[in-house]
Amino acid sequence: MLAFRLLWRNWRSGEVKILAIALMLAVAVVSAISVFTDRLEAALIDESAAFLGANRIVESSQSIPGEWQQSAAEQFDVRQATTVEFLSMVFSDETMNMASVKAVSEGYPLLGNIELSDRPFAVDPEDITIAEGIPGPGEAWLDSRLLPLLEAQLGDTVQVGDKELRATRVLISEPDRGGGMSMVSPRLIMNAQDLPATKVIQPGSRVEYNWLLAGESGEIDSLIEWLQTQTTEHQEIEDLQSEQEQLANALDRGTRFLLLAGIVGVLLAGVAIAIAAQHFASRHVDQVALMKSLGASARRVRTVYLLQLLLLAAFASVAGLLVGEVIQRAVSATLSSLFPVALGGASVGAYGVGVLTGFVCLVFFALPPLWHLPTIPPLKILRREMAVRHLRTGMQGAFGLGAVLLLILIYSQDWWLTLSVFFSLIGIISIAAVLAWWMLRLGRQLGMHAGSIWRLALASLQRKPGQSTMQILVFATAIMLLLSMTNIRTSLIDDWELTLPEDAPNHIFLNIAPHERESISAILQQNGIPQDDFSPMLRARLTHINGEEPSEEMRERNGSLRRELNLTWSEELPSDNEIVRGEWWDQARINDEQALGGMSVEQEVAERMGLELGDVLTFSIGGLSVDVVVENFRTVDRNTFEWYFFIAAPGVLEDYSPVYRTDVFLAPDQKSVVNQVLLAHPTVMVFEFDKILQQIRSIIDQVSSGVELVLWLVIAGGALVLVAAVNASMGNRLQEAGLLRALGSRRKLIIGSVWTEFSVLGLFAGLLAVFGSEILLMSVQRWVLDVPMQPHYELWALGILIGTISIGLLGVISCRRVVTAAPAVVLREVEG
Amino acid sequence: MIEAKNLTKKVQTSEGELVILDDVSLQVSDGDSLAIIGASGSGKSTLLGILAGLDVPTSGSVRLNGFELTDMDEEGRAKVRADNVGFVFQSFQLLPGLSALENVMMPLELHGHGDAREKSEAFLGRVGLSARMHHYPKQLSGGEQQRVAIARAFASEPKILFADEPTGNLDSATGLKVIDLLFDLNKEQGTTLVLVTHEDRLAKRCRHQLELEAGRVVVPAVRAAVN
Repeated sequence: MLAFRLLWRNWRSGEVKILAIALMLAVAVVSAISVFTDRLEAALIDESAAFLGANRIVESSQSIPGEWQQSAAEQFDVRQATTVEFLSMVFSDETMNMASVKAVSEGYPLLGNIELSDRPFAVDPEDITIAEGIPGPGEAWLDSRLLPLLEAQLGDTVQVGDKELRATRVLISEPDRGGGMSMVSPRLIMNAQDLPATKVIQPGSRVEYNWLLAGESGEIDSLIEWLQTQTTEHQEIEDLQSEQEQLANALDRGTRFLLLAGIVGVLLAGVAIAIAAQHFASRHVDQVALMKSLGASARRVRTVYLLQLLLLAAFASVAGLLVGEVIQRAVSATLSSLFPVALGGASVGAYGVGVLTGFVCLVFFALPPLWHLPTIPPLKILRREMAVRHLRTGMQGAFGLGAVLLLILIYSQDWWLTLSVFFSLIGIISIAAVLAWWMLRLGRQLGMHAGSIWRLALASLQRKPGQSTMQILVFATAIMLLLSMTNIRTSLIDDWELTLPEDAPNHIFLNIAPHERESISAILQQNGIPQDDFSPMLRARLTHINGEEPSEEMRERNGSLRRELNLTWSEELPSDNEIVRGEWWDQARINDEQALGGMSVEQEVAERMGLELGDVLTFSIGGLSVDVVVENFRTVDRNTFEWYFFIAAPGVLEDYSPVYRTDVFLAPDQKSVVNQVLLAHPTVMVFEFDKILQQIRSIIDQVSSGVELVLWLVIAGGALVLVAAVNASMGNRLQEAGLLRALGSRRKLIIGSVWTEFSVLGLFAGLLAVFGSEILLMSVQRWVLDVPMQPHYELWALGILIGTISIGLLGVISCRRVVTAAPAVVLREVEG
Repeated sequence: MIEAKNLTKKVQTSEGELVILDDVSLQVSDGDSLAIIGASGSGKSTLLGILAGLDVPTSGSVRLNGFELTDMDEEGRAKVRADNVGFVFQSFQLLPGLSALENVMMPLELHGHGDAREKSEAFLGRVGLSARMHHYPKQLSGGEQQRVAIARAFASEPKILFADEPTGNLDSATGLKVIDLLFDLNKEQGTTLVLVTHEDRLAKRCRHQLELEAGRVVVPAVRAAVN
């Protein structure tokens, strides 16, 4: 009760207010970030899992063994469904067309939605509904463009193999559209129960069996672990990373950024708490000495203060959670229009992280400055000049750093990230402290020759070099974080925009005969669609390597040896490709008619096929053979859809009557152009990537919004640290200014010196911040984002300006009472 | 009863050993009063600190109400202080964040008195500050602040009251009122009083005076004329 009463009185007198607010801020910032990121992450994982239609997919060229499905059902808490995909001719009363058929079982898709409509090419959301279940037996859902291609309408009967199905709905989108050749043909979705009746699947048919799995990540992981002991070379386990590299990278970067921001939030809060606790401790020396003179033992004093701290932490945590909740709810609500995915509730753990952070901050940041309080000798009450033995600053620093280490680890659960961030911080802080001290000295020398305002301001900084250095460091940290955060966010978003421009080609027309090029260009032009050049393409089969036919085993291992490959030729290395071995051809090599034609091979394909530089490959193109020599291996950018595994040197393949491809961007309302092209040129094939790109973009938008929110929270944290630091030094400032005024100094002089003092502090802090953020940003570029390191010149002026102006203003605003209140009142308050 | 024998206090300074108290002995009976006088730096406050158990002598012994302080550790001395001792300080030592009433309540609460509030109100009334109970120290004059400190000292009904220059920060007239109040309460409660002062008129109100010079007793405690 005594602790409670003392806490209440301390609160009322304002002595613990800053500590409480700093603590509350820590909990609020951290819990808002952690709850929001938790919700966002959950939503993103759901959204991205919807790309697969599941959390994991087992892809197989053979049907999934029934016993696996049974074991999964019995031993693991997962949901499952199967799909069977194959290419088949689909017949209508009028005509026929190749379709990519997908027979799905009950429960499909496990995650994400199928969008259906009663109108082909529907764009208007009012025309589109979400499927509740799968097509009933005897029913089929058809891609928009399959209907005109079959000259059929909804309600008509179509035939897959021996089975007649009624076209009941138009398929607008499916979550796991994926890539591959199946995308060339329009989709037809049917019920798996009807599959046997089609009699389409025969031994040797090219069929892809998919087993979809969804559930809690722990359950899924254990199931996958078990499955890995069961699968053969026929099966592959796909997750988001393997299926959608670009999306997975975007998610990964987004969460890393949020994590970094979280760490920054914690750091700021920690600094604020340490400053406030130091201030609190210095205000409580007399109280403890008095308590001890009145007979309170050291243990009693320790208990009373510890209880006060715990009570404070409990109240601050509750308040912090509430404030954090309000912030994250408000921001989620404001951003809700940007979130196509509804944010779900956060896990209890996310709130727990906030509370845990509060307590860790309290123990590691607040306790060390207060630790000496119970050891204050009672004699201090009589001998005010007696020195108080503080816990050494070094030790306090060590505790603070320990907290940072612990909190980063709790947050990231990643030792590598924790240690790298931690040691960079220590390095930066040490160098910064030395620089700050050096700048203060330099300032003093310059100040000798300056006017009275400057002399006063610089003398004030010089009188407390330790405190001034600390303040420069705090301000510099906050400014540095603001600069870095803004920059990381911008570069993240720019980076994504760069990989995925709004008008990136989202349709590829393939198999275009040379004489069809003109007509297709005309159709595209009529519809106002800009078009890439037609690039040549040849379908070829790799028949011999170094004159030998690949063995059966090799064929089995390598899809590339079983099917036709797409070849092209080029004089230039595609800009997003990189040579890893060998050399790209120069003009002399191209003109060398004596040597075999050169071939460039994608490195992973080359590795799988066991190719070496200098190997001779024999391709069969329309019955004719051509020999080429492997001259280099290269990487391709799989984030784009424009890549080839095999690129020949010019002059090798031109005579083999190539077909052409062209890549275009079609807006949703331009989709019917696909049909115009296909109706005019039935042999042309089309890859449609628009849905996939749209999904990727929506996820990136969400991550960007989250990133922005977190940035604002961190900025708020930074500003509050500045206020806490200024407040902690306010007693001394008031006293000094009060004295000066009592001695007859004009207000202008005092305000001028306050402005000068703070803006010099801000200038030094800004300089340091620029230095620190360059190091931080370059480290982040190099090790976290994995992009090339570049200096950020635009930050230099910005950092110095922000430092000088904002800290100067903050100082003047915080110290305005010095000139508004009567000097006697100020002095008396300070003494009291 | 306070009994000090051969008290010596030495401290190490950069210029060598400094003797603050040199072989000081004294005795104060229950209910009696003693003024320790002397010039600044004569060791008065050091002696007061040792007698009150706030500090320990380099050699010699102190008995306070039968407790041998010099044999005890800080925890033991804290217990003795809690049960026996009250203080009045030159700079009042009121906590700025607490109201007058709360300042008086503080020691009572610390020792777990259930009637802290009632008792404190009564004592504030006794020192004439009923109307200012809820004022904060910075809203009170120096004299009023010292009256609050006196109320705080007597509220826990100590057997011995130590006062360190209780009028040192007050003007002459206010100091006189505070002295009257201190001695009135002392008389009412039968408290043993030890005070440090350099003010003659205050020293003379005590039954005994002991004068220190450079840590040595130059005038041993003698019975003074009691008004």
